Amino acid sequence: MLRVTPEDALERVRSALGDLAVEPKLNFGAVDLTCTRENLVEVATKLRDNDELSCRFFSFLSGVDRTGFTVGEGDDAATGELEVLIHLYSPVHVISVTLHVPVPVEDANCPSITSVFSGAIWHERETWEMFGIAFQGHPNLVHLYLPEDFEGTPLRKSFRLPSRMTKPWPGAKDPEEAAAGGGR
Amino acid sequence: MSRSADAIAEAFEAAGHGAYVESFDRDERMIINMGPVHPATHGVLRLVLELDAETVVSCRPVIGYLHTGMEKECEDQNWRSAITIVTRMDYLAPFFNEHGYSIAVEELLGIEVPKRGQYIRVLISELNRISSHLVWFGTQGLDMGAISAMFYGFREREVILDFYEMVTGLRMNNNYVIPGGVWEDLPDGWRPVVENILGLLPGRIQEYEDLLSENPVFLERTKGIGTITADECGTLSTTGPIARAAGIDWDLRRDMPYGAYPDFEFDVPTATEGDVYARYTVRMEEMRQSVRILGQVVDGMPDGDYKNMDPKLTPPSRSELNRSMEAVIHHFKLVTQGYTVPAGEAYAAVESPRGELGVYAVSDGGTAPYRVHVRDPSFVNLQALPVMVRDGLVADLIASIASVDPVLGGVDR
Repeated sequence: MLRVTPEDALERVRSALGDLAVEPKLNFGAVDLTCTRENLVEVATKLRDNDELSCRFFSFLSGVDRTGFTVGEGDDAATGELEVLIHLYSPVHVISVTLHVPVPVEDANCPSITSVFSGAIWHERETWEMFGIAFQGHPNLVHLYLPEDFEGTPLRKSFRLPSRMTKPWPGAKDPEEAAAGGGR
Repeated sequence: MSRSADAIAEAFEAAGHGAYVESFDRDERMIINMGPVHPATHGVLRLVLELDAETVVSCRPVIGYLHTGMEKECEDQNWRSAITIVTRMDYLAPFFNEHGYSIAVEELLGIEVPKRGQYIRVLISELNRISSHLVWFGTQGLDMGAISAMFYGFREREVILDFYEMVTGLRMNNNYVIPGGVWEDLPDGWRPVVENILGLLPGRIQEYEDLLSENPVFLERTKGIGTITADECGTLSTTGPIARAAGIDWDLRRDMPYGAYPDFEFDVPTATEGDVYARYTVRMEEMRQSVRILGQVVDGMPDGDYKNMDPKLTPPSRSELNRSMEAVIHHFKLVTQGYTVPAGEAYAAVESPRGELGVYAVSDGGTAPYRVHVRDPSFVNLQALPVMVRDGLVADLIASIASVDPVLGGVDR
């Protein structure tokens, strides 16, 4: 095993991906980077096949609904988007990489990475039904957990828990805070 | 010597049994549902099998019968009380769920866990590894027809569960490991109880091995069965004993150490065959290594705080509550609202008995998690089941399911 330092890992990711990686940075010892969905398959392939990185171990794929966040400041401020989240490891160099792929809410689709990591099949089915992100090129995009006739995308922030519709967030002690936390 | 279907039909006719096989289509394939209430599918796992006589042509796991939306529920709890949700995911290894989640939250909070807290976590985790492997041992034996394995496995597990009850008050879903340390210090008299368990286990593990390791029936049903190669494990992201039994020498406790694990000496058992028997040997040796770690934990248990005593995270003690009104208010705020966690995101993974259990936590700076994703090893490992059982017999499928050791609470979350 050729363990590399996080700084070295970041440098290797920078040189291997170049412009494909937007803002690579270190986050608690893991390389954290964003890429566009058009480049996703290329980035994943490079991360896997580059000998300096060899992130061959696919850990998980999931999603985050960032519509609760505000991105940018002042006039550029906008609400966040959906995001496909991918975590990879290198068992050789002990590098861990978190890949963020922004996906707009109105056009929620993303290329499938099952051609690169076939272990992603179930993860993409789960993310599809929970976030409504369609994975193009997935061999069998059908429900995994939920019944066939289920409507809605439960892990999006717009999907409210039925208990929160009738009673505001109980974690608030003042009424005005209850309204603020009611969106949970 | 097997007789052809026609010969059997003729023999029946001749004997006047009245049974008559009109036609026998050799290419006919049968679709069979196994589960979700089949005793050998370990919980509510349903397998849709395509069979050619007794050979499994394809196997499609159908999951979701236990899906309760725990990740969504976490977003409705404060950071402290989300532990009660995550602990229920992999219910045979609750401390690992709590541990993984706690490390992720600690990273976001930027706090340290005192040495004693870390040692208690290792103590309880390694005991949990043994108790979880004992359930696997019992069910693996039971599915192979060795019903006494079930009794023996559960007998020793009971002793360990009694210790959990002594420490946490509960036998499962313990809600014990929290961000910052553990909820309560070990009670008086914990040491003789653990020493008793440690004295008991090596002999008992040897006893199990004497029963099964050279048992001809067990060997026939496990050697060369349910094989998976290291490459297949790699592409399907299989981790834990399944990957180690296929020759992947990877254990997060050693390769990406967390908590107090760098302080302890232990070996990571591996095998190369990748069959059910190899997974059996790996898990048996893992129990021995856990006993070895536990011995070092008991000898080296440091004094001091068992959790981070930062008043922003930890409610005031009982005695303070009796004295000071401010302490009561502070306690009330911490329990109802909880503490805030700085905005950010972190991934933390621990080596659970089933493999890599990772938690990805996102905070928006509030008192509740913005998003908690749990990478449960049972979920990922179950994807490898169709690969293991393809072209095997139905009876071998039973051996393979037991050796994957899936916990459907973790698969479905």
